Amino acid sequence: MSRIFEPLYYPFMQDALLAGLLVGTVCAVLSCYLVLKGWSLLGDAVSHAVLPGIVGAYLLGFPLPLGAFASGLFCGVASGFLKANSRLKEDTVIGITFTGLFALGLVMFSKAESELHLDHILFGNILGIEPETLRQVFWIGGATLLVILLLRKDLMLYCFDPLQARTLGLNTVFLHYLLLGLLSSTVVVSLQAVGIILVIAMLITPGCIGYLLSDRFEHMMLWSVASAWISSVGGIWISFLIDGSTAACIVLTQAGLFLAALLFAPKHGLLAVRGRFARLAENRAAIR
Amino acid sequence: MNLFEPFHYDFMVRAMMMSALIGGVCGLLSCFIILKGWSLMGDALSHSVVPGVAIAYMLGLPMILGAFTTGMLAALGMGIVKSRTRLREDAVIGVVFTAFFALGLLLISLRPSEINLRTIIFGNMLGIARGDMVQMLAISAVTVLVLALKWKDLMLYCFDPGQARTLGMRVRVLHYSLLILLSLTTVAALQAVGAVLVVAMLVTPGATAYMLTDRFDRMMVLSSLLGLGGAFAGGYLSYFFNGEVGGCIVVLQTLVFLAVFFFSPKYGLWTRRQEQVL
Repeated sequence: MSRIFEPLYYPFMQDALLAGLLVGTVCAVLSCYLVLKGWSLLGDAVSHAVLPGIVGAYLLGFPLPLGAFASGLFCGVASGFLKANSRLKEDTVIGITFTGLFALGLVMFSKAESELHLDHILFGNILGIEPETLRQVFWIGGATLLVILLLRKDLMLYCFDPLQARTLGLNTVFLHYLLLGLLSSTVVVSLQAVGIILVIAMLITPGCIGYLLSDRFEHMMLWSVASAWISSVGGIWISFLIDGSTAACIVLTQAGLFLAALLFAPKHGLLAVRGRFARLAENRAAIR
Repeated sequence: MNLFEPFHYDFMVRAMMMSALIGGVCGLLSCFIILKGWSLMGDALSHSVVPGVAIAYMLGLPMILGAFTTGMLAALGMGIVKSRTRLREDAVIGVVFTAFFALGLLLISLRPSEINLRTIIFGNMLGIARGDMVQMLAISAVTVLVLALKWKDLMLYCFDPGQARTLGMRVRVLHYSLLILLSLTTVAALQAVGAVLVVAMLVTPGATAYMLTDRFDRMMVLSSLLGLGGAFAGGYLSYFFNGEVGGCIVVLQTLVFLAVFFFSPKYGLWTRRQEQVL
């Protein structure tokens, strides 16, 4: 028993759990919008595209989050520009832009004599999070959350139905770039927890879980946040106990919750749907 | 700095030749991927093969076997979840491939001595083993052969699945053939550029060729040549960039794409602007 609660005695675990909860909350809230908007690929793209920004900011002596945010946003804007000015499909231009930027980051990294740990950028380092980074997570994450909550209705309408949003007089161009900016800042925050490659799981899976469990947007968001909390805390804890990659444990816990929701969700789960079909068939048989 | 220096080393020549081969095959396949809009699928498969690679290393099995198995499992999983829920396809793909990748990452982190994570994430063209080269040659031969025989059917399927079905083609077979080819090439490209950048090899050459021509057969030729040339030159340049083969290949291919995007004779942005002025 003592072994199970052992992690709580270590200050670094307390920091990690706190950071995990913060990151999980921001990601989960944003993920509801991304899932509705169909922005999985863009989320993946923005998260990979921050690499050259981090390396560049390091070389120039700027704060790393600033560089990351700028290059993430640049990826979104550049793919938009390429899409608008060519006959290529959206997924193609996104694929080109983010791989180009990520590769540029790698080449810059290979030339720069830096003390950056590429492994920490790629896979996160939440168990070794420094107090300064934790403060950054707190402020950037808090600001992102605040903006989303203030504009939640506008953003929701824009994600559900951009056309209607425009008809109602909302500035959809502004909302588009706002969402892109929020995505970038969320990626910057969550890099700390799970790293560039797995951020996309934090940005998609909670929203999917919420969407399976409810029909109302507010409830979807609550479920999404709850699942993110469980998987952040659970994942960090498990990774400590089995001494495995923390990012992987967080994402796998989340995947486990998704699987549970997929099977057992009261209304949209596979078992419930199957049950409804069975009852329908029975009723038909009885009527005959 | 001697510009011919890379050619003096066997491992560099080998790396450039193999990169060029994989680049050419990926370039050929990329024509179909961009028509079908499967960029995310390519990205997803290249991440989903990671646990298979890890397991194969641990059990001493051929890498391709493990990689192919988990890649197909992921594709099947996505298909099942997509068809039975109201979630959007892109979200389902995102959930499934990250779960697979995380599983691979966990396995590697539990047995760090056996597999080098960097090899999988960034490829290992400079230290490629003989067995892997044989696998890559076999995969390339199969892919080119299938595409050479069936490219018209696959093209029609990618352009317009509905019409392909109306014409009596077995759309399901075509769908899965393309998926299998994609998985196979992904495994081969993993060696060259690593899991993260595979999608570039599968998208960028095709997109560049698409900006240059309107005919699909020309697009296939151009795209394979672009993939081949980019990968060869990238491998060469990597000698001067700390052996960062994947990064150099992809940066180069992206630069070529950008040049074509602006200056393509027919669809270039700058070219069209000039025409408007006249």
